[in-house]
Amino acid sequence: MSHAADNVTDPREILRRIVATLEHVLPAQASIRDFVHHNTLHGFQHLPFPEALAGARRLTGASAWLPEARFRDFFHAGRILEEDLQTSLSAVSMLAADEVIVDQPAFTLRRRDVYRTALLHPLRPVTAATLAWQVTEHEALTHFQADVSREMQQLLRERTRRQGAANVHATIEDLWRACCESIGVSPELSDDSISGPAPPDTGHDEAGALWQTRLIRKEAMRLLDALTARVGDPWTLRDLLMVLTGEDIFEQTREHLIRHVASHLDEGLAAWHNPARKRGFYTAWRASAGDENTWALSDLPEWRQHLERLPEDPLETIAQELQLLGVKPVRWAGYLQRLALELPGWSGMFLWRHQRPDYNGQRDVPVNMIDYLAVRLVLERIHAQGLCRRHWRMEASLPMLRWHFRRHPAELIVRHALFTTSLPEALHWQAQKRVMRALASAREENDRRWIATAQRILTHRAPVTDAASPRRSRHEHAWPLFRLAQHLGLTGSEIRSLDTAAINAIFECFDRLDPDTAGNVWLCAYEGNYRDQIFATLKANHGRVEWPTQIRPRAQLVFCMDDREEGMRRHVEEVAPDIQTLGAAGFFGVAMNWRGLDDLSSAALCPVVVTPAHAISEVPAPGKELSQQLHQRRLDWRRRLRELAHRTSHRGLLGATATTVLGAPLALLVLMGRLLAPRSTGHLVRKLLMTFDPCVSTRVAFKAVDAATPATPEHPRAGFTDAEQAERVRGLLRTMGLTSRFAPLVVLLGHGSSSENNPHLAAYDCGACSGRHGGPNARVFAAMANRPEIRVRLAEQGLSIPYDTWFIGAEHNTGDDSILWYDEDLVPEEARARATELKMILARAGRAHAQERCRRFATASPRLSPERAVRHVAGRVHDLSQARPELGHVTNACAIIGRRDVTRGAFFDRRAFLVSYDPMQDPEGDILENILLAVGPVGAGISLEYYFSTVNNERLGCSTKVMHNITGFLGVQEGTSSDLRTGLPQQMIEIHEAMRLLIVIEADTGVISRLIERQPSLRELIGNGWVQVAAKDPRSSRIDVFSPEHGWQNWQKEIEAPPVVARSADWFTRHREALPPALLEQGRPGEHANVD
Amino acid sequence: MLTDLIALVPLFPLLAALLIALYALPGRPRGDAAERLTARGALFAVTLAFALLAALIVSALIFGPLKPVNFGTWFAAGAIEIRLSFVLDGLSLTAALGVAVIGWLTLFFSAQYMHREPGFHRFFAVLCLFLAAMLFIVLAGNAVLMFIGWELSGLASFLLIGYAHERATATRNAVRAFVTNRIGDAGFLLGLAIAYRYLGNTEWITIAAGAGAISHLAVGVVVFGFVVAAMAKSAQLPFTPWIARALEGPTPSSAIFYGSLMIHAGVYLCLRLEPLLAHAPVIMGLLAAIGLLTALYGWFVGLTQSDVKSALIFGTITQVGLMFLWIGLGAFDLAAWHLGLHAMFRAYQFLAAPSYMHHTGTPARPVPRWLGRRQALYTAALERLWVEAFTDATVTRPAQVLAAEMRSFDDQVVSRLAGTPAEQHAPEDEAASKGVQDDVRGHGLAGAILEWIAPRLHRVEQRLLLTGGAGVQRTFRALGGYLEVVERLLERPRYLILIIVIALAAAL
Repeated sequence: MSHAADNVTDPREILRRIVATLEHVLPAQASIRDFVHHNTLHGFQHLPFPEALAGARRLTGASAWLPEARFRDFFHAGRILEEDLQTSLSAVSMLAADEVIVDQPAFTLRRRDVYRTALLHPLRPVTAATLAWQVTEHEALTHFQADVSREMQQLLRERTRRQGAANVHATIEDLWRACCESIGVSPELSDDSISGPAPPDTGHDEAGALWQTRLIRKEAMRLLDALTARVGDPWTLRDLLMVLTGEDIFEQTREHLIRHVASHLDEGLAAWHNPARKRGFYTAWRASAGDENTWALSDLPEWRQHLERLPEDPLETIAQELQLLGVKPVRWAGYLQRLALELPGWSGMFLWRHQRPDYNGQRDVPVNMIDYLAVRLVLERIHAQGLCRRHWRMEASLPMLRWHFRRHPAELIVRHALFTTSLPEALHWQAQKRVMRALASAREENDRRWIATAQRILTHRAPVTDAASPRRSRHEHAWPLFRLAQHLGLTGSEIRSLDTAAINAIFECFDRLDPDTAGNVWLCAYEGNYRDQIFATLKANHGRVEWPTQIRPRAQLVFCMDDREEGMRRHVEEVAPDIQTLGAAGFFGVAMNWRGLDDLSSAALCPVVVTPAHAISEVPAPGKELSQQLHQRRLDWRRRLRELAHRTSHRGLLGATATTVLGAPLALLVLMGRLLAPRSTGHLVRKLLMTFDPCVSTRVAFKAVDAATPATPEHPRAGFTDAEQAERVRGLLRTMGLTSRFAPLVVLLGHGSSSENNPHLAAYDCGACSGRHGGPNARVFAAMANRPEIRVRLAEQGLSIPYDTWFIGAEHNTGDDSILWYDEDLVPEEARARATELKMILARAGRAHAQERCRRFATASPRLSPERAVRHVAGRVHDLSQARPELGHVTNACAIIGRRDVTRGAFFDRRAFLVSYDPMQDPEGDILENILLAVGPVGAGISLEYYFSTVNNERLGCSTKVMHNITGFLGVQEGTSSDLRTGLPQQMIEIHEAMRLLIVIEADTGVISRLIERQPSLRELIGNGWVQVAAKDPRSSRIDVFSPEHGWQNWQKEIEAPPVVARSADWFTRHREALPPALLEQGRPGEHANVD
Repeated sequence: MLTDLIALVPLFPLLAALLIALYALPGRPRGDAAERLTARGALFAVTLAFALLAALIVSALIFGPLKPVNFGTWFAAGAIEIRLSFVLDGLSLTAALGVAVIGWLTLFFSAQYMHREPGFHRFFAVLCLFLAAMLFIVLAGNAVLMFIGWELSGLASFLLIGYAHERATATRNAVRAFVTNRIGDAGFLLGLAIAYRYLGNTEWITIAAGAGAISHLAVGVVVFGFVVAAMAKSAQLPFTPWIARALEGPTPSSAIFYGSLMIHAGVYLCLRLEPLLAHAPVIMGLLAAIGLLTALYGWFVGLTQSDVKSALIFGTITQVGLMFLWIGLGAFDLAAWHLGLHAMFRAYQFLAAPSYMHHTGTPARPVPRWLGRRQALYTAALERLWVEAFTDATVTRPAQVLAAEMRSFDDQVVSRLAGTPAEQHAPEDEAASKGVQDDVRGHGLAGAILEWIAPRLHRVEQRLLLTGGAGVQRTFRALGGYLEVVERLLERPRYLILIIVIALAAAL
C-alpha cells in the first residue's frame, strides 16, 4: 500500500492516510456483545473472489480455501461429480482447459486431463529425501502408485504388453526412465540425491582463502540487501532482528502492550482504569510508562531517556520513531501495516472503535489508531534497542545494522544461516558458539572466527545454491510427471514421443494450477453440485403447489428470512396446510432503538447498516403501575444479588469472603442442577422467579407523543407518528407481496436464542436485528397494524385489511423451539379461539422441528420422538457445559427470494434463507431493489463469515471455545495474554459446508441486471462473485445463472428430479449428514389442519 | 475392614488415568463412541471413590472417629522408614469428599464441553491423574505419601497449562509454573529431611506427638520447609505470578486446578501441620504476614484485570491469602471452613466464566476516587507490582548466569581433571587461531624487537611441542585452559570478593 505516500510530503497526512488503509487488512468485528456476521475479508471485497483470497494469503499467509484433501473426499463421496469438476475447469478461462497440448495419432492430451489428474491426485514436487523414501519404502519405481485406479492399471498393462513389456515392473520402470529422459535427467537414484553432490574442493591455499573471503563478502552483501529490502514490507525490524539474533522482541512487548490496550478498550470488566485514560491511549500509556519498572529490572538501556524524548503528539512520535529506526517514508505504510497485523484482533478492535467515536457509552474514552501505532512503535524501538545493544553495542536502526554488517559480512552469513535454516548439528553448535561468544565479550572482536564458520556454512550450502538454477530434477519434475503418466495411462514410449514443447506445456499446467486456482476450481465444482440440486428441485416444484384463490388461509405467519426458520415454516405447513407462511428480514421494517422494561439502556434493533431514528420502549400496562413498582424493587434486588455473586465475590477482601462462603452451598446446588438436570433446573429457576417476581403485563409505547419534532438518527424521537406507522406497515406487506387475501390472524415471529455459558451468544441471535432478539420488532409491528387509524390510512392508499384480521407479535426461540407470545390479552374475543388453536399448531410444529434439528446433534439419539426431541433441545439451552447449545446458521447455503409457491412443499434441510417477494406486483423491480439491498449484505455476511471460519478456523475463525476467556466485555482471548480472537469458534462451524451463498431470485433477468448495474454495493457483491445469483422465471420453470464473466446463462442440465416423500420426517430420520433437497407430498395448501 | 478400602480411593482415579492413557495414546481413538467410553470410565472411577468415602464418613458418624490405616512399610533403610499409611480424620475425609464431588462435576462438565477436542482423551487422563494426586494429598498418612500426590498434581497442572501445546505462550507458561513449583519442592524436601532426622518418620501422628519433644530449631526448620512448599503451591507471595500465567488451559481445567482444588493444597498442608505450627510462633507470624500481604496484593492487582479468568484468579489469590492469615492467627477451624466453601464457590464461578458477560453486563463499580487518581499506583497494579520482573532480576537471571559459569567450569576444569573428553574442538577453530600467529605487528623499536622475537619464540614453542610429543602438548593445553578459566572467573567481581573473603579468613 505504498501508494499512500504518493505526492504527499507532510508526514502527518501520510500517516492519516495509512490509518485509513488499515481498514482493508484488519478484522472489523464489533464488540462481541454486538456480534454481527460480516465478511471476514471485507477489506478485499472490491476484488473478485479468487483474487481476493489469493491477496489475503499473500498478506497474512492464511489460506482461505478448504484443504484439497477435503475436496477429494467430497469427490470420492459423490458430493462432487466428475461433470461438476469438468464444468468448473471450463469456467476458469485462465486455465484454457480445452487447449490440446499433445496431438498424436495414438493419443491426444488436453490441459483439462492434466488439471483433472492434478486435482484428484497430489502431483506436487517432493523433496529428494521423500523420493528416496518412496522408492525404498513403496518400491515406487517398479510398482503402480497406490492411488492409480484398477482400470487405469489394467489399461496401461494391456498397452505395454502389446509393446512387449514383460510385466508390471518393466512397465513402470520403463515409464520412470522415460520421464527422466524426457526432462533430461538421469534416472539412476544415487546417494547424492539426498545429500547433494560433494562440495567443491576450495583448497587451503592462499588463492582459495582469498576467493572464499570475496565470496563471503559478495554473498553477504546480496543477503544484506535482500534482508533490509524486506523491512517495511513484509517485515518489521522485529523480523529482521529475529533472523539475526533468534530473539523475538515482540514476545517481550506483547504482554505489556495487551495489558494496556485491553485496559484502555475495556467496557467495564475492570474496576480501575488508567487515570489518564480520557486523554487518549498514547497519553495514558506515557503517563504510566514513566512509572514502569519492568524495563529497569530487565536491563533495557536508555528507556527512560527514550521516554523523556517522546513528543506529546503521537503523530510526531510515529514519524520520529520511524526516522530513528531508519525506515524510509515510502515504506511507512507497509511498516505500520505489518506492525498492526502482528496482533490483528486487538489492532482491529482498536481501529473499529477509532471509526466509531460515538460507540455505546464509551464516548469519554477517545480511541485513536494513531495512538496505538505510536505506542507499538515506541515499544518496538525500546526493545530493539536493548537487543542491538546487547549484540552489537549500537543503536537499533536499519542504517546502523547495515553499517555493521558491511564491516562484518561473515557474521551476517553465520547469523542468518543459524537462525533461518537448519544446519548440521556440528555447524549449528559452532555458529551458536560464535553468537554466544559475541554476546559475552565486551569489545568488538576480529572477524576471523566468523569467517571460518561462514566458510564452512557456504561450503555446506554450495549444492543448495546450485540447485536453485532452473535445471530440472528427478524429485521436482520427473516424479510429478511419472505420477501423472500413471494416472493418465501413458506408456513409457508415449512419454518419449513428447517433444520439449509438450513437456513444457505439462509443467506449465502444474504451474497454472497453483493452490489458489485449484481451490477455486474445487470450490466451484462443489458449489455447482449443490446448485444443480437446488435448481432441479425448484424446477420440479414449479406449478406443483399453488394457493387456491378461493380459500382464505387459516393464518399467515411471517417468519424471519433466517435459514433456521425454513424448517419451522415447513413443519407448520405440514401440520396445518391451510396456513400460509412468509419470510422477511427479521426487523420487519421497524428500525428502532428499543428499551425493554428491564433493560438498562436502549439498543438498536435493525440491520447494522441502518441507524434508527425512533426510540420505542416497553411500559407497564395501564393499571399495572403498582405491580411495576414492586417488580422494579424485586428486579433491583435480583441485580444486587447477581452483582454480589458474580462480581463482589472476586473483588474486595472480607466482603468477598462473606459472599463466597455464604453463596457456596447455593453455587454447588446450581452447578449440580445446571449440569445434571439442566432442563428441570431451568424450569425450576423460572418458576421460582415467577413466584418471587411475577411478570408485569406491559405495552409498547410506540405512538409519537410529540409528532412535531423531527426524527433523526442523532436525536431519535420517541414513537412513530401515524403516517410513519402506516408507511412501515404498508412497506412490509408490500415487500412480501401480502396485499390481499388476509387471514383472520397474521402472526409476526421474530427470533432469538438463549443459552448458558456462551460468549458468542449474540452470534446465534437475529442478524437483521444487530445480533439481538427480533421479538420486540414483531410486537411493535403488530401493535401498529392493529390500530384502526392505521387501517384507515392504509385503505386510503389502496391496501385494505379486513376488519376481522388481527396481528400478533411473537418470538421464536431457535434454541429450544419455544414461542413467546406478546400482548395476548389484547386479542379480541372472536379471535381468541383461533389464536389458541394456532398456538397448539405452532407448539406441534416446534416439536417436529426440534426432532429435525436433533438429527445433527451428536449427543441426541438419532431416533428421538418429537416430544423427547423438544426436551432434549430445552436441556441444551440450560446446560452449563454445552458448547453447542444450537448450531446457529451452520450449513446455510442458499437464499430464495420469491413467492412461497416456489419453495412450498420442498425440503431444503434448513439451509435456505427464504424471502417473500411477489414479482407480479413489482414490474419495475423497486421492491426487489430494496430487498436485495437489505438481504444481500446480511445473507452474504452470514454466509461468508461461516465460509472463512470453516476453511481456516485457526487463522480466520477464533478456534475452539474451550480455551476462550472473555476480555473487557468486547471479545475473547485464548488464555490471558493472547490476541483478541475474531470470527466464529470451532464449535459453530464443524458441520458447515463451506460454499458461497446461492441467491435465487424469482424475477426477470432483465430486472435483476438493471439492479446490479444501478447499485454499486450489489455490483461489488455479485459482480465480484462473493455470492452466486440465479433467476427463476416467474411464469415458467426456466432458470438462468448469472456469471460475472459471461452474464446470464440458461441452466439446462438433465438432472434426476428430487425424490418425493410423504413428510419431512420420512426424509431426515436416521440421517445425520447434510441431505439433498426432496419434495413433500404433505402440505398441499388449503387442506385442513390436523391438530391433536 | 472398611477402613482398609481407603487405599482404593486415590487408586481408582489413578487407574482410570492409566487406562485412558493406555487406551488413547497408542491407538488414537476417534469418534464419539471413544469419547463416551473415556468420559464414562473416568466418571465411574471417581464415583467409586466417592461412594467409598461416603461409606467411610457414614461409618465414622455412626461408630465414632476412624483410626489411621497402615498398609505396612514401603521402604525402610536404617532409621528411615516410609509407610503406606492413610489418615482418616474429619479433616481428611471431608476434604477428600470435596475433591471427589468437585472433581466428578468437573469431569461431567468436560464430557460435554470438551466434545470433539483433539486432546479429549489426554485431557481426561490428566484430569484423573490430578484427582488421584489430590486424593493422595488429602488422605496421605505421612508427608512422603503426600509429597507423591504433591508432585503428581504439579505434573498434571503442567500438562494442562500446556494443553494447547501448539501455542508458544501456553508451553512457556507451563514451564514457568512448573519451575516455580520446584522451589516449593525444595522446601518440602527440606521439611521431610529434617523431620526424618529428628522424628524418625513423617507420619502426621508422629509429627503431632513429637512436636513438643524436639528442639525449637528443628521444629522451626521442618515447619519452614513445609510452609515454603505450601506457599509455592498456593501461590502466595512471592510465588504468586505463576498462577496468573497458568490460565492457558481449557476452562474446566482452570476451574479445578487454580480456582478450586490445587490452589488450596498449601492451605491443607498447613492445616495438617497444626500441631507443629503451634510450636513455631515465628513462622505463624510469617504466615499471617504473608497471607495478609498476598490478600492485599490479590485485591489490589485484581482491580485492574480486564479479562474474566485473571479477575477471578486474583480474587482467588486474595481468599487463599486470607486463609493463610487465619492460620497464622491460629484460627485453623476458620481456615478449614473457608477453604471448603471457597473451593465449592470458585468451582462454579470458573466453570461459569464464559457467561460472565451475560451475568454482569454493567460496567464494574469504579475504585474510590482517591485510589483511582493515583497514576503510579495504577501502573503498579496493572504490572502486578513487578513481582515477576523483580524475581527474574534477582533470582532467575543470576541463577542462569551462575549455571552457565558452573557449566563452563565443569567443561573446562572438572571434566579435564576427571579425564572425560571435553567438547570437541572444531578444526576450523585451530585454523583460525593459527592464523593469528602471523599477525604480530609492532610499532617503533619495541615493536620491531617484538616482531623479531615472536616468530622465534614461536619456533621454539613449535619444536617443543613437536619433539615433546603428545604429553607435553596435553599439559600445555590443559594449563592454558585452566589459566583461561581462572582469568575469566576473576573478571567477575563476585569471585574476586569470594577470594578476598577466603584470604581474609585464612589470614585470621
